[in-house]
Amino acid sequence: MAAPKQRSVKRTKMINNTIVHVVLAILAVIWVFPIAWVVLTSFRAEKGSYVSTFLPQGYTLANYVKLFTDTTILNFPKMFGNTLFIAICSCILSTFYVLAVSYCLSRLRFKFRKPYMNMAMVLGLFPGFMSMVAVYFILKALGLSEGGLIRLALILCYSGGAGLGFQIAKGFFDTIPLAIDEAALIDGCTRWQIFQKITLPLSKPIIVYTVLTAFIGPWVDFIFAKVICRANADYYTVAIGLWRMLEKEYIDNWYTCFAAGAVLISIPIAILFMFLQRYYVDGMSSGAVKG
Amino acid sequence: MRKYVTVLMAGALAATMLGGCGSAGQSASGGEHMRLMVWAPSEDQSKDSGEWLQTCCEAFAEAHPEYDISFVYGVADEATAASQVAQDPSASADVFMYANDNITVLTDAKAVAKFGGIYEQQIMDTNSETVTDSLRQDGFLYGVPFTTNTWYMFYDKKVFSDEDIKSLDKMLEKGVVSFPFTNSWYLPAFYIANGCTLFEDGTVEEAGVDFAGDKAVEVTDYLIDLLDNPNFVVDADGSGMAGMRDGSINAMFTGSWDAASIREILGDDMGVAALPTYTLNGEEKQMMAYAGSKAIGVNATSDHMVASIQLAIYLGSAEAQKLHYDLRNVVPCNTELLADETISSDMLVVAQNDTFDRTSILQPFVSKMSNCWTPVENMGKGIRNKTVTHENAAEQTQAMNDAMNSDGIS
Repeated sequence: MAAPKQRSVKRTKMINNTIVHVVLAILAVIWVFPIAWVVLTSFRAEKGSYVSTFLPQGYTLANYVKLFTDTTILNFPKMFGNTLFIAICSCILSTFYVLAVSYCLSRLRFKFRKPYMNMAMVLGLFPGFMSMVAVYFILKALGLSEGGLIRLALILCYSGGAGLGFQIAKGFFDTIPLAIDEAALIDGCTRWQIFQKITLPLSKPIIVYTVLTAFIGPWVDFIFAKVICRANADYYTVAIGLWRMLEKEYIDNWYTCFAAGAVLISIPIAILFMFLQRYYVDGMSSGAVKG
Repeated sequence: MRKYVTVLMAGALAATMLGGCGSAGQSASGGEHMRLMVWAPSEDQSKDSGEWLQTCCEAFAEAHPEYDISFVYGVADEATAASQVAQDPSASADVFMYANDNITVLTDAKAVAKFGGIYEQQIMDTNSETVTDSLRQDGFLYGVPFTTNTWYMFYDKKVFSDEDIKSLDKMLEKGVVSFPFTNSWYLPAFYIANGCTLFEDGTVEEAGVDFAGDKAVEVTDYLIDLLDNPNFVVDADGSGMAGMRDGSINAMFTGSWDAASIREILGDDMGVAALPTYTLNGEEKQMMAYAGSKAIGVNATSDHMVASIQLAIYLGSAEAQKLHYDLRNVVPCNTELLADETISSDMLVVAQNDTFDRTSILQPFVSKMSNCWTPVENMGKGIRNKTVTHENAAEQTQAMNDAMNSDGIS
């Protein structure tokens, strides 16, 4: 009696698994589909924005070559450089802000702590671009809206408000036992040393998460860059460049290059993620304090 | 860690400071020193297409030794320049180029200077009245026109004869025609052909839009049948150009911005012509495009008003327009230039001017015009999706007319 029952359990399991995997496979195809299409388009040999076939009729690297060599009208390498520079600087600054603010709110006790957290939450409810016009005029008054200072202006925009997004990191720091801090204090550590030598090494996963979000924000932002760069083409970021490629004067010639550009901008994010994922997993699995 | 962060931040600052010098041209002379900011599309400034802007600005500086001008160039194409300038006039270019349909954006923001006196006379002398009218509001002239802006027909000469292209119906018998049916810059051409009007002659805002009654319903009915014609293809998302490329489409409607691509496809077989007529109830109706102009405007908050106005007039002069045409094929509108033999024999120039003069209306730029785009687009989409049929054509046309005349979202 036992044998058939066991087999039927096995079979049910197998049927279940098959169904689950088929559904997952279908979903995976649907999700990957647009990305695959963009990648295919970036290698497409035929010009124009509209094609009647799904697969390109011919493949070429020319779109990538054009993106980097045909720089007189849309200077993609320069935009790429601008964006990379802005994103890296804002990433470093905002990561530092977020972690520092989170640490203070998690470990220190001061009068303004509660009001600050409430205020941050209320401010966080408003979308950032609501303040865009005000931000623009403040930057202009400071003389940051022209020339090379535009880069600084963008870095300030992207990193300035980072301290409000402390919630997740603070939550993580709260899980690190206070006992460690106290032990360190007794041994003569300063607050900064505790932060730097104890808390940070124990918080790799949350650092990784903060770095990723802090990098992707400025990397893909369009609206602030558009408002602040205005007519200064030398300081355009890739988001503006890609948008311009789709304007009616350029779309026919630049559409496949647009796809190539889209593939290229996903590379730094992918690299960053792949590189940091290791720590992400490490940090998750080997917790800080055991027992 | 602290050192690391400090060094990086210092580095970031230093790098931005170093990159601080913009592109400024310098003319060394003893005149009044000034800094003029000029905005133009990137093609006008690129080396590949001959640096039209730089060449013209330097020529202007040379012709005016009384000024010592540092030029600062910025990139803003005609379609978006107006909104950029209106956003913050005091931090915008002294001289910029804009498309005339944005004129109310500029005047509402008090961002554009009026041309008057001898300057106005100078502009009037070298341009047709239709062109200057496109830049007037309440009687004031707001820019120096340098080209007209409209759409017309590109076709394959192997398929259509000179006689065929006069009538859309004849063309549909001979070959495949593609039309941006769901784009409200193009679709009204059919309605205007049959006597529908926008703000009377385009300037009387109170008059409203008249896309109602039998004259409009007839057109809707015609369009429904037109879409059933197997030789008629809707051009959307670049499908017209793709069809030209693979040979499945023989004629399409677009403007000078696509001319280079079409010439690459058709070569010497490329034909360009003004809009054809179409046959409605046995009568020939002339399709009418929206037409406008592109102009050089002067910032009303400019610190150097006289020099800016002189520069704008120079950039719109026959000399500068000629160079613009030679370098970038920008169709001139200066009446002296149009009399020039080489220019007047260029088929693109002929077609664009013919369209402007004969088969177009001035695109209204009264502010209520902004209510007119979506309803027409929806009509085009409705006919394409077969939700607008012969049975409900009257009702749907009336609904379109109501929506065009209403301020709210309906």
